[in-house]
Amino acid sequence: MESYSDKQLIKGNYAIAEAAVKAGCECYFGYPITPQTEIGEYLSQRMYDLKRGYVCAESELAAINMVIGAVSTGAKAMTSSSSCAVALMQEGLSYACADELPVVLVNVMRAGPGLGYIYPAQGDYYQAVYGGGNGDYKITVLAPSTVQECIDLTYRAFYLAQKWRNPTMILADGLLGQMMEPASYGEYPYPEIDNSSWALTGAKNREGRAIYSCARDEDKQNEHIRHLFRKYELIAKEDTDWEEFNTEDADIILIAFGSMTRNIKAAMKVLRAQGLKVGAFRPITLSPFPTNRLNQLADNVDRFITVEMNMGQMVNDVKLAVNGKAEVDLINRPVGQWLSVEEIVEGVKQIISKGVQYASI
Amino acid sequence: MEKNYIIAGFGGQGVLFAGKIIANAFMLAGKNVTWYPCYGAEMRGGTVNCEIVVSDDEVSSVHKQDVDCVIALNQLSFDRFISKIKKGGRIVCNSSLIKETRPRTDIDYIFAPMTDKAIEFGNHKLANMVSLGVLSNVETVLNISILEKAIDMVLPESRKKLLHTNIDAVKLGIDKETISL
Repeated sequence: MESYSDKQLIKGNYAIAEAAVKAGCECYFGYPITPQTEIGEYLSQRMYDLKRGYVCAESELAAINMVIGAVSTGAKAMTSSSSCAVALMQEGLSYACADELPVVLVNVMRAGPGLGYIYPAQGDYYQAVYGGGNGDYKITVLAPSTVQECIDLTYRAFYLAQKWRNPTMILADGLLGQMMEPASYGEYPYPEIDNSSWALTGAKNREGRAIYSCARDEDKQNEHIRHLFRKYELIAKEDTDWEEFNTEDADIILIAFGSMTRNIKAAMKVLRAQGLKVGAFRPITLSPFPTNRLNQLADNVDRFITVEMNMGQMVNDVKLAVNGKAEVDLINRPVGQWLSVEEIVEGVKQIISKGVQYASI
Repeated sequence: MEKNYIIAGFGGQGVLFAGKIIANAFMLAGKNVTWYPCYGAEMRGGTVNCEIVVSDDEVSSVHKQDVDCVIALNQLSFDRFISKIKKGGRIVCNSSLIKETRPRTDIDYIFAPMTDKAIEFGNHKLANMVSLGVLSNVETVLNISILEKAIDMVLPESRKKLLHTNIDAVKLGIDKETISL
């Protein structure tokens, strides 16, 4: 067991907020919404004390565009929101991808669709990974599963956003945002990225420059998009991340993302104790998705079962990765009370005994 | 070994605060622990509660369907959570605000007049601290010295002058004469 001497009980939302401060976030822009309001609440005082920028924006659309403005000057900046309000920011994400700007956005998911209410859920997987903005673009998406990872992946989000000049989202959920767990901040572990070649810092002693989201020339626009996608390939090659447990001898692999991860790990242990060779797999980056690793694993695995708090979204990326080499099933519930370890164990047994492809609980 | 606790009461009874003390105390005892509150509109409707999961291993899930131990500070919480307690589990009740009934035969009951004790002591708001003392009688990990440290960790700097008042209220709950089993 780890020593708690350097740890304190921290709420997920506060963990994200303070990690952003430690990562060097110079400006925060946001509009309150449950279940992530503590991020803005915490930063309203903290940023003021540190003489950094804080604006409680008039709307989410304003907030994301304020972030775009701030990061285009080379500053580190962030906004945070939840589901139905992140929907309002999709246009900004598309622009930030086209502009190649290191926007950091936190989505602490609640239920949907529409207003959806404040229960925790994981229904924004598609929104995060495939996006609601226009055109060909990809953002980087990191999904923390513990409060410690709320810290670690906030650090990584700022780093990856800067490294790739690409919007990076931390996809958490209401459960993770509201819960407390022992964790420690440590120090921001990544190098600072030099942005002097592109940031709009004033043209004193140099040529003027501008950031455009488009080229007014068909060939240049084609080339710009191809350039973006070469970059996305590099992100996938260098920064795809995942965790796997007991996959070496597994016949069945449970897959979850975010805070459902601990439940599938516990279910894996129960099923192992009952003699079933079960492993667990958890993408840390949802975009880029660990497609190649899942495809490799599919050579020796009979069945993948994704466990999600939505109607089945990541399951389709698992199917694409597995590409017919193994069965892919789903255990899910749309919103609310997280699927319990017992329910997951029961769902797995149902799937095995009946060969059904759907155990909606 | 994993165990979960729910502490519940009216808004204003200091339920989330007491829950944080329980969570910190278990952390100090070297356990893995999570704390998860009800939040948002749920809190506006009457009862407030939070769930603490304690484990020697990694916590398996943060918000469970059933519960090992409930600390109920008002009748609404007793009524809401009594059916969720596992067979062989326990409910610790504030008998100042909860009728002493035992609707289930497969769980343990502890009744203590927490609010009355707190009023005698001088402040009804300390009933949450009394409840921690009562709990400490049956949860050996939560001894007074660990609770003292935990209270110190949870109290914000601006309230540190209330540290000893809180600790004394916990001690009132530990006094076995207040309890009826």
